[in-house]
Amino acid sequence: MREMLSMIVVLTLLASVSGGLLAAVKSGTELRIEEQILKFQKAPAIESLFSNVTNDPLKERFNLETEDASIQIFPGKMADGSMAVAFETLGKGGYGGDIGLMVAISLDKDSLVGARVTTHAETPGLGSRAKDDLQFVSQFNDKTMDTNLALKADNGTIDAMSGATVTSRAVTRAAIQAQTLYKNLKPEIIKQIQ
Amino acid sequence: MAQSLAKEFTKGLWAEIPPFRLVLGLCPTLAVTKSVENGIGMGLATTFVLVFSNLLISLLRNVIPTKVRIACYIVIIATFVTIVELVMQAFTYPLFLKLGIFIPLIVVNCIVLGRAEAFASKNNPVLAVADGLGIGIGFTLSLASLGAVREILGAGTITIWGGNPVFDITTWYQPFTYMVEAPGAFAALGLMLAGMNLISKK
Amino acid sequence: MEYFELAIGSIFINNILLAQFLGMCPFVGTSKKMETAVGMSMAVVFVMVMAGMITWSVDMFLLKALNVEYLRTLSFILVIASLVQFVEMFLKKSIPGLYAGLGIFLPLITTNCAVMGACLLNISNEFVFTKALMSSFSYAVGFGLALVLFAGVRERVNLGRVPKPLQDTSIGLITAGIIALTFTSFRGMV
Repeated sequence: MREMLSMIVVLTLLASVSGGLLAAVKSGTELRIEEQILKFQKAPAIESLFSNVTNDPLKERFNLETEDASIQIFPGKMADGSMAVAFETLGKGGYGGDIGLMVAISLDKDSLVGARVTTHAETPGLGSRAKDDLQFVSQFNDKTMDTNLALKADNGTIDAMSGATVTSRAVTRAAIQAQTLYKNLKPEIIKQIQ
Repeated sequence: MAQSLAKEFTKGLWAEIPPFRLVLGLCPTLAVTKSVENGIGMGLATTFVLVFSNLLISLLRNVIPTKVRIACYIVIIATFVTIVELVMQAFTYPLFLKLGIFIPLIVVNCIVLGRAEAFASKNNPVLAVADGLGIGIGFTLSLASLGAVREILGAGTITIWGGNPVFDITTWYQPFTYMVEAPGAFAALGLMLAGMNLISKK
Repeated sequence: MEYFELAIGSIFINNILLAQFLGMCPFVGTSKKMETAVGMSMAVVFVMVMAGMITWSVDMFLLKALNVEYLRTLSFILVIASLVQFVEMFLKKSIPGLYAGLGIFLPLITTNCAVMGACLLNISNEFVFTKALMSSFSYAVGFGLALVLFAGVRERVNLGRVPKPLQDTSIGLITAGIIALTFTSFRGMV
């Protein structure tokens, strides 16, 4: 009986001390982690998409609230004076987890400026090409908001990378999600930018 | 005392160097050693967990009931792993992205639990820390050297902490991509192990 | 169709042992004899599927509901550890022969990163329950396939005259490298 008791007490104590410690570390690092994600994940994709903008999209970023999440929007003023916005969506169902896709959309033309993969944990040499080889994501360039951005195999318009259908499908899911999100948020975005 | 302290520390560097002598912890060894940088990062993260879990387990060795000791060790180890995970995310984010799922998986690295059970639970905290530090540094050295072999053969360069390669032989050497892909990891580790056997036999 | 692709992908292309490097300790440790390899594979199939289901539920109904996702590593490893304890007790009672054969590696299934890794992958993929189940099962089958194949080759290799420094683990790892190389040719399939 005494043994049982000491077992339970020790385990409970350990677990609660550990939980408390982790909660403290978590809240201590939270802000810093967000900064790092912005710097290392989003910034390179945004710079690559907005290579000739005349403003600083990172500095002018703002947040929009949707029903279930808050989305960071990065506005970019294109060289010809038109406006575009970039934001990130997550494509479910890659091999190694969600695939992050940064999508830039022109507000005047309602069409995609381009898309870049930000995060992934796909198999090196196969799925990882979605990020490293721009050929696949360049298929999204100039697509309108009404284009079906699914894979050709799923009756859409995008060619899958050979040998990496699952990864390609996850990327198209992110792109489709971006289309819906943009349609819903456009009025808000325009209000914010002005 | 000082002598045994030195002994516990140095055994991790050659006599019991993981994963060569102590064939444990192979998953991170094979998976993350595509480059020297990854190897060092993984090694240091594991060292941190090893040292602190050894210290705590050794301090609590008379409090923890024998029957639930494994569960207690796991709670302690998992706590330090999560701390490493959060801290790496906050301060070395690019490295965290490269190591990915293998950071939370330090918790199931047999080296850590193995040292807790075989050493820390039976020795005083000072020795336990020396043991953890020695094994950890040995592990880091192994990962770094395996990373170096694979990176040199597979990419022809060595790049540490971004920037330009510190070592480059691509002008006359045709890199051999097999070495940085999955199958090359097995072959490289197998050959290095054979090399170690050859040296220590003499 | 999606489920079929997932299964083929997880068994052959992203094989948990040969492409993801999860679960290497039992891969090297229990592959010297065919018998232990088969036993280990069965134990892993059982534990991985059970663990996949339980951790998925824990994550969904506890961690996400309470917004404490950072406790994931901690809670998953505890679930797996207790599950393994249960399997160990079961084997000890009903199949003592197998229990004796697996020896030290059964408790070490707790530290088998394949089990933990498969559970974490299910979560990071945000699979629905049936998909998580399918993926856990396929990963486990892939684990068994690679382990049994490897054990078969290894038994043969050890009959030959291997140079002294290369013996045992060393030649084993090189053999595994060759098997992994053959598995890369499945890549074009999906």
